[in-house]
Amino acid sequence: MVEGLGAVLAEPPRPPSPDGIAALRTELDDAARAACAVGGWSQDEPLRLSKHLVTGLLRCPRRALSDDQGAGDDVIVGWVVDAAAKLATVSPRRHVTVDAAVAFLTALGDSTVADHLADLGPAAERLTSDAAPRIDRLAPSLAGVDAGWWPRVEDPVRVVLAGGAVTVAGRIDVLLGGPPTGRPGVIVEVKGGRWHDGMRADGHLYALMVALRDGEVPASAVTIVSDGTTHVEHIRPALLQHAAERLDEAMRGAARLAAGEPPAMLPGAHCGHCPVRPDCPAGRAWRPAAEAAGSPP
Amino acid sequence: MRAPGGNRFRPVEDEATGSGGGTDGLDQGSREPIATGRLAPGTPSDPVGAADRLRAETSRRIVDALAGAPSPGAVADVYVGWVAARDAATCPARYRGEGEHGWGFPGWSPPLAGGACGRAALAHHIAQADRAGRPPTLPMPLDAIRAWMRALRTRDGAAEGRTPPVERSGVGDWICEVWDAGDSATLAAVAAVAGRWLAGFVRVLGWPLPPRLTLVNAPGPAAVSSLWWRPGKASPVTVACGADARLGRVTGAGGFALVVHRVATGDDGALWDRAAFEAAAGALAIGVVPGSVLLTGGDTGERVTIPVDDDLLALGADRIVAVVAERVVAVERGFDPADATPSGACRHCDHLADCPPGQAWMRVAERWRSGLPVL
Repeated sequence: MVEGLGAVLAEPPRPPSPDGIAALRTELDDAARAACAVGGWSQDEPLRLSKHLVTGLLRCPRRALSDDQGAGDDVIVGWVVDAAAKLATVSPRRHVTVDAAVAFLTALGDSTVADHLADLGPAAERLTSDAAPRIDRLAPSLAGVDAGWWPRVEDPVRVVLAGGAVTVAGRIDVLLGGPPTGRPGVIVEVKGGRWHDGMRADGHLYALMVALRDGEVPASAVTIVSDGTTHVEHIRPALLQHAAERLDEAMRGAARLAAGEPPAMLPGAHCGHCPVRPDCPAGRAWRPAAEAAGSPP
Repeated sequence: MRAPGGNRFRPVEDEATGSGGGTDGLDQGSREPIATGRLAPGTPSDPVGAADRLRAETSRRIVDALAGAPSPGAVADVYVGWVAARDAATCPARYRGEGEHGWGFPGWSPPLAGGACGRAALAHHIAQADRAGRPPTLPMPLDAIRAWMRALRTRDGAAEGRTPPVERSGVGDWICEVWDAGDSATLAAVAAVAGRWLAGFVRVLGWPLPPRLTLVNAPGPAAVSSLWWRPGKASPVTVACGADARLGRVTGAGGFALVVHRVATGDDGALWDRAAFEAAAGALAIGVVPGSVLLTGGDTGERVTIPVDDDLLALGADRIVAVVAERVVAVERGFDPADATPSGACRHCDHLADCPPGQAWMRVAERWRSGLPVL
């Protein structure tokens, strides 16, 4: 295993006390009800938040409200790498290939990647040769986790607020430990691209959601990136509070948008990959500081 | 024609129409020990007599519904499970339009087999401990799935004492076929989804499992194989209860609970429909009305106990009979937008191009996603 995750599992830190979880739920529930008063959501017509939407609302509302543009090649490669990591987690096989990862996705009922690669024909070789070394870097870190950690992939987590008028849902790439294993929870997020600091927020949000679901705070959030980075973050009460504040801010922003406020255009490094940039004056005008010297993707 | 919903927000997909009041006031997310054997207020005082009456009344209504078919035998093999009940209630037109392919069992696949394999593996794990005369240890989800799969493969060697026998099951036979075909991707996918089911079930119910919990719809001596009921020997109708477990012993006094575990939950309003269907199907299959239905959510960690009363049973019976009635109508009238009921399912409906109510609903829904306007 990569040293980061291996070290966490070999000597997991003591998770924070669960004493503050109830107060966090109350805070979030109050915030959700306040947002509903503006946004007009109800149990029948709820606001459905995901980690992507929370991040999107905070990063650039204009992009968050734009229609999906479909999966590009880089997204497809990311999905292949993601699937390979999950296959490595659940399969005793020693080596995970691109073909095995695509077959795994197809067996799970998702043929998007297989169809995309088939449509590309021989040109798909460029994608698979891009994905293969990423898989080789990432998959070994998840293979061979001791069964006592209860490794499970795409573990669903959902938080219901304001009587069901707001929900926050997600699937954790890999979840280890937590009740009833007797071991502390460890959240593993798999990223197919390059590391940037914004990736930490996903682990924080999932730590908050798992704490609300299980009544126990996870010990760590580990982000394993296909560029070879492994980021280990031990969960502290301040991180949960920070995640709750981000969620609160996302709900406030969503409420204003649902009430008709025009979405703000907040240009930044994310513009480089934004599919609606051609229609976005702020995005078109944005240029990376110092021409992307050391900037995140 | 029913009026298009006109919701400005996209409704939940894959959930039935919400007919209840949500979970406010229910035992939601309770961390309290799970009680069994208590009769909730409103529970039929005579659970056996109530089940007898339910069987008689449901049989009569099914016979009446089948009598509407243009000819005897025009309706064959009506399988009434929760999915059919939900589909028929959500949009009768779409349900009728599914045709034989949609009504029948589509064949096993990893997403479909997660619950069945998870239950079978857990039942195998418990049975092994029972045989050894010791309490079962906490199952390791992936290990339990693999142990069950290996036992399936070696069941012929049981006589030689190598491996405890694993009782046959439809999903077990499918796993053997997949294994023989060398389809490692499918086996890995099954391990992923079944492990997820098993982990969620054990996490939400706790370990050790609650006293007097028996897995149902699973093979082996540690479980009840299946819960189904037919209104008559010659009837084409089979009603299947999709519960995962039973809490408490079945006695004439009732009081037991049916446990329905959902890996991922959706609309809380659908809880009532699900509880109603499983309560009625369970009462029909067992011959005793359950005291309650315990619905668990793997994603939320919640445990919602819904007491079974006459109203809930009546709603469940309505859902069951509605499936049969729609199948009878479908003999002469398949998809018909006249009674189409638009919902989030319209996004994936094969009949959208021929469905003005669905198209009208989509024109509104497409402007909103997840409760937010789409630019």
